[in-house]
Amino acid sequence: MISHYLKLVSGVLRSQLAYRTAFIVDVITVGMSNALEFVAFALAFAGFGHIGGWSLWQVAFSWGLSEAAFGTMDMIFSGFDPARFAQHIKRGTFDQFLLRPVGLVTQIFASDFALRRLGRVAQGLAIFALANAGAGVIWTPAKLAYLPLVFVGAVAFYGALFVFGATLCFWSTEGLEIVNLFTYGGTTMASYPMHIYTDVVRRLFTFVVPTALMIYYPALFFFDLPDPTGLPKIAQYLAPLVGFGVLTLALVSWRVGVYKYQGTGS
Amino acid sequence: MLTTLLAVARQALNRQLVYRAANLAGLVTNAFFGFLRASVLIALFAAKTAPRVGGLDLRAAVTYTGVAQALIVWVALWGWWDLIDAIKTGDIASDLQRPLSVFWYWCAQDAGRAVAQLVMRSLPIMAVYAVLFPLALPRDVVQWIGFGTAIVMAWLLCFAWRFLYSLAGFWLTDATSIGRAAAFLMTFLSGFLMPVGFFPPWAQTLMLLTPFPSFINTPIEIFVNVATGPHMLALLAIQAFWIVVLITLAHVVLYAGLRRLTMEGG
Amino acid sequence: MITVEHLVKEFHVFERRGWLRRRTRLVRAVDGISFTITPGELVGYLGPNGAGKSTTIKMLTGILVPSAGVVQVNGRVPWRERVAHVGRIGAVFGQRNTLWPDLPVADSFDLLRHIYHIPPDRYRANLQEFRDLLGLDDFMGFPVRTLSLGQRMRANLAAAWLHDPDIVFLDEPTIGLDVVAKEHIRAFLQRVKLERGTTVILTTHDLADVERLCERVMMIDHGQLLFDGKLAELVERFGGERELVVDFAESYADVAVDGATVTQREGLRATYRFARAKITASELISRVSARYRLRDLSVREPEIEATIRRIYEQKLL
Repeated sequence: MISHYLKLVSGVLRSQLAYRTAFIVDVITVGMSNALEFVAFALAFAGFGHIGGWSLWQVAFSWGLSEAAFGTMDMIFSGFDPARFAQHIKRGTFDQFLLRPVGLVTQIFASDFALRRLGRVAQGLAIFALANAGAGVIWTPAKLAYLPLVFVGAVAFYGALFVFGATLCFWSTEGLEIVNLFTYGGTTMASYPMHIYTDVVRRLFTFVVPTALMIYYPALFFFDLPDPTGLPKIAQYLAPLVGFGVLTLALVSWRVGVYKYQGTGS
Repeated sequence: MLTTLLAVARQALNRQLVYRAANLAGLVTNAFFGFLRASVLIALFAAKTAPRVGGLDLRAAVTYTGVAQALIVWVALWGWWDLIDAIKTGDIASDLQRPLSVFWYWCAQDAGRAVAQLVMRSLPIMAVYAVLFPLALPRDVVQWIGFGTAIVMAWLLCFAWRFLYSLAGFWLTDATSIGRAAAFLMTFLSGFLMPVGFFPPWAQTLMLLTPFPSFINTPIEIFVNVATGPHMLALLAIQAFWIVVLITLAHVVLYAGLRRLTMEGG
Repeated sequence: MITVEHLVKEFHVFERRGWLRRRTRLVRAVDGISFTITPGELVGYLGPNGAGKSTTIKMLTGILVPSAGVVQVNGRVPWRERVAHVGRIGAVFGQRNTLWPDLPVADSFDLLRHIYHIPPDRYRANLQEFRDLLGLDDFMGFPVRTLSLGQRMRANLAAAWLHDPDIVFLDEPTIGLDVVAKEHIRAFLQRVKLERGTTVILTTHDLADVERLCERVMMIDHGQLLFDGKLAELVERFGGERELVVDFAESYADVAVDGATVTQREGLRATYRFARAKITASELISRVSARYRLRDLSVREPEIEATIRRIYEQKLL
């Protein structure tokens, strides 16, 4: 399975790197356009002082973490990107995957690996690194061990959203913008301290689509801040569990989608 | 020719009206991001002792996020690939067969699209905002007229700009990177992410050297009564200036591009 | 070995009526088809557009799951054992591409080698043979995306046979190609059939393909199998009218004969059209030669094209 993936994906990567300069320009453009939102926020922030009690450094911390995780996910899960996957269903090229003697999920993962999204990862990491200059996080071994778990959990969680979006394509290829709300919208949401949102919204994104559990609550743990939303402390440690749990759910729903496709055709 | 252009606009309007599902999804996206930015601003203003930043108080700032969402659809700030595609596929050649100015033909089409989306998205999003938030509305008829003029000019301006950068397709095989770079510029410099007035003075000066604030920031400043009287007239004059510049540039570059097309083939 | 019994596929088709109301109609794309295909056969699968051909093929390849009925291919149920089943078949769909568009052909083939676990010596032998047979050397190094339709089809065909499949499904393989290219492909198919005995199911609208390649044809329309047998039999039963072309030894003013109509006269040559049902060829020849002196003659069968068109239009089956 892994060897098939590696072989298939190497082809995809090679064709992307074939146009070297265009690729580098793309990476830089992607990186810069994603950083813009933060730059605009940072520049405007000077006029205010704090947001929900958080300093600019603290916002940068969660922002950078969310962006780096999302960018990584965007690269790995590009095959499941609903915008792309919808094309396969619309044009009927999904059938080609059914005709190859390789597992479907492996094939979809290997069908694209958008290296240019590295730009987003890079700017996320840059912002995160900068944040640590002033966020004042007191790093303990526990926190250091937890950080990569939060990162990986976020990648899995965002990936699950892509997979859900791709699964929806089996039923309809229109109106997929809704999915963008949870993916792109979700990561933007998670970048800010989530106690600034109204209760209803925050609870929706904590218990239904648990975006808050992936970045915000762990951030409270890293900053040693009290929880203004009143959840039990355990909420801050659930990130990797929730991330992979949701991903598993997503892959199960994907299977259901494939059965549906084989039952009703395109 | 005017009647022909009106007919063209009408056709484009009808075409856009068909995309009900997509526009509904887009409306939900507008609402989501509008509320997200409003939440951020509300939290920022809570930190402030003085009620105004960049001329905007909280009510005006919240209104800003709503009108911005309405405007980006009306002027089509992003995601307009029609001309780039037409050049890539060579369909642009059929435009040369028509006894119509290429620029004004495309402009008429975009006018139809804009009106359709005004009705399907811009007005509804404002209605939703009006229900949920206290809005800062234009204070008198003069202000309303100013706003009306400003948004028409903003649309024309944005169209000329989109037209202009799409012409890169005559010289580059893959003009999508140009499209993305252009989006990157417009998002930041138009005042969409944050009102221009929120930025430090040096940043504001730089932004105001470009045409982009006239796309978004100018009409909204008029709407929320930040720009009144002579200030408003000055902004409208700046819009008019940039319209002349961009339309002239567009015609020049278009002529060069068409010459290249007819001399070197598709 | 392919076995199909009482195969049915129903679809819900959405019809939009007015603003919001949607009605669904149940359409039977495949309505109780049964047939058996033994190893090594090259079967033509014919039918007008929308007849249910693609749907049948999709069920045989495992892309679609039937609504009812049994499908067994080499002892497997296609959609239940997808990976195992698909590893032993090949498929080429007319306008669609089976290879990776951005990769050079050679790289695509190499990928297939891994995916299908082709032993290195088999891979080399097959590759060499197909390069020669299909003239692939001209474009092996180019991305598939840049190839012409004919080149792409040749590459896809080679790819379909690369792993020595038992069965190959071809859906409109010659569509959109020029005459020369079509010939090359037919020659290739005849060659592989002879040498490898691969079972081939060929759907096509090009009746020249059918004439050249298929001994057996199955005809489907409205989801039902209307005919399953030898091509010659199809022509025999529905051939309708045939033609007798005669070169006279001398010039005659009138060359009419009972039982046939003169459709063409040019110098010493005349063409008679006669109905298969009314008079046999030999009888007509006797009548003509009894009246007139002949130098040469030939009997022309109706073109398959015309035969099959008749069958569709007049609903003869």
